[in-house]
Amino acid sequence: MPRWGMVIDLEKCTGCQACTTACQMENGRLPNENWQDVLFYNEGEFPSGKLTWLPRPCMHCENPSCMAVCPTGATYKTEDGAVLIDWDRCIGCKYCMIACPYGVRFYAEEKQKTQPDIREVFPDPDGDRVWGPPWQLPADRQNNKIGVGIQPKNVVSKCTFCYHRISQAPPGTRDLDPNDPNLRDYTPACVVTCAPTARYFGDLDDPESEVRRLIAEKRGTRLLDHLGNRPQVYYLAGEQPAIPETRSVRMRDEGEA
Amino acid sequence: MASSIAAVLRTGSWADPLRPYLDLDRRPDALSIALMVLGALGGAVGLAFVGYNLFVHGHAAFNTSSDMAWGAPIAFYLFFLLSSSGLSILASIDSVFGVHAFYPIAKRCVFLSMITLIAGFSILALEIGHPFRMLWALPFSLQIHSPMWWMGVFYTLDLMLLIVKFWLLHTGQWHTRLTHIVSVLSFVVCILAPGTLGLVFGMMFMRPAWYSPVMPMYFILTGFMSAMAFITFFTAFEPKATTPANVRWLHEATLPRLFFLSLLAVAGMRFGQLLTSLWTNYEGMEANWYVLRSDMLQAELLVGLVFPILLLSTNGLRRNAFVRFAAAVLAMVGIFLARLNLLIVGQIVPLFKGYWAGYVDYWPSLTEWMLVPAGFGIFCFIYGAGHWLLRLDAQPTQAR
Repeated sequence: MPRWGMVIDLEKCTGCQACTTACQMENGRLPNENWQDVLFYNEGEFPSGKLTWLPRPCMHCENPSCMAVCPTGATYKTEDGAVLIDWDRCIGCKYCMIACPYGVRFYAEEKQKTQPDIREVFPDPDGDRVWGPPWQLPADRQNNKIGVGIQPKNVVSKCTFCYHRISQAPPGTRDLDPNDPNLRDYTPACVVTCAPTARYFGDLDDPESEVRRLIAEKRGTRLLDHLGNRPQVYYLAGEQPAIPETRSVRMRDEGEA
Repeated sequence: MASSIAAVLRTGSWADPLRPYLDLDRRPDALSIALMVLGALGGAVGLAFVGYNLFVHGHAAFNTSSDMAWGAPIAFYLFFLLSSSGLSILASIDSVFGVHAFYPIAKRCVFLSMITLIAGFSILALEIGHPFRMLWALPFSLQIHSPMWWMGVFYTLDLMLLIVKFWLLHTGQWHTRLTHIVSVLSFVVCILAPGTLGLVFGMMFMRPAWYSPVMPMYFILTGFMSAMAFITFFTAFEPKATTPANVRWLHEATLPRLFFLSLLAVAGMRFGQLLTSLWTNYEGMEANWYVLRSDMLQAELLVGLVFPILLLSTNGLRRNAFVRFAAAVLAMVGIFLARLNLLIVGQIVPLFKGYWAGYVDYWPSLTEWMLVPAGFGIFCFIYGAGHWLLRLDAQPTQAR
């Protein structure tokens, strides 16, 4: 059984948001409900100021705090390493959203920031789900038990590592390389679509896998590692700090630090 | 309307089996009528408004979002649940620790504790995504590593024990062995329940503005202070002519002093919290400074602590019923704001959303505010009925 993980090379990422769009199309996400997002940061001041960015999917932690706090067991971890939500058990208490250090959980029952409200433009014909986008996964691939597809109302949603794809990969697969025609359909949508090939997906437990080689040779780092969640998404930062300059800039602007 | 309902109840033969337990022959006093009418109106308007908007817009009727997942409804829920625990502690002073001076308020406190819990649960049912699913998913999941699961266990036990305890007191069994056992169990649970609720927030290491081993103690202490405000509110205007001297002493001297002390304890703890919040990590500093600069914090401290402490600071002031009443109202408003502040400070800086995301923009929607009349309406209606029918000022008649 593999333990799937992702490596993102920040020196190759252009911040183009193609991954965000691919994820939205694949998983039928609402605007602003970005399971996969690219975060932007301003660093420094003129004349040395710069713009940096950080792609951020769910970290599918080895020790997920979201799973620990879930009072109903709706959030669980699969044997192959994905953290998923059983939408039929979720009660919408949102404690997991409070407990996720990476802010990657979403509750669609909120006022939409963009208008018109796309849920009213494309309502679910049966009224059971959050909305009914004109393109969505075939019904037989949508699965409440693994949180794939358009979610029912009043439950929390999150990135699944495209579990409907990776769980179908042939046994013994070491790396899900989108350039391999035989594996492309089993590779997460964000990895498939990444034009500069900044994303790698493979078995973290296999010492021969590409993701393991990259982590070892290019000093793969994890976000907020001090918190103890142990993410299964690693960043290759090269000479740059993995996490862009933090939010303190704003506080200094307001003269409080 | 309430008088005509009372007349029907007094004359109806179907009510005969209830007569030993309910004072159906007693005419409701002005306070009971006022509370029931106001409660029914507030509750009906509040519930209808919230219910309609939830039906039409779903939880989008709230201004909560993926960044501010817990908003005002959770603050209101905290207000009621923690007040309930404090009232239960207050009701245990006599039955567990044998301080007989508190007997005159014991039954009233147990009843208030029950109905504040019911009001809190009602608000939670309107806030949570799937309240009916919760009824089976929570008990059968056995998620013992989740503080919220334990909170559910303890508050359910709390309500069950309060109901049993009230029944025992109502049927005159003040000094039986069973009453003592139930009282001790109820006391233990009413410490564990708010303590666990404190852990729901205090264990969140990823939210530095909440992460604190002191949070359970803060919840227990503020719950007790809130309970003091509740009982002072409802005992401020007892008629002097018919109130026995020992009960008047309790209302005019003992309870206000305890209320004053609890306010001082909360003020000291809050001061310590604010001082320690000045130094933490980036996200925590941003959140804490945001709240320190806010009008809401000033309102919380002035209305909820400074003014009530000043009002109750001398014996002369404490003896004045209007002053006690005003201090209780101010403390309740203040603790209400404190709960809202707590919710905001933990979520105002979104977790990992990038510099462009800014602070989370949040102020409760009208639908969220209407949970206040809904919750208080339920509370007032049941309290008014209890005040009329359940002899809440009863004391033990049997020898100890």
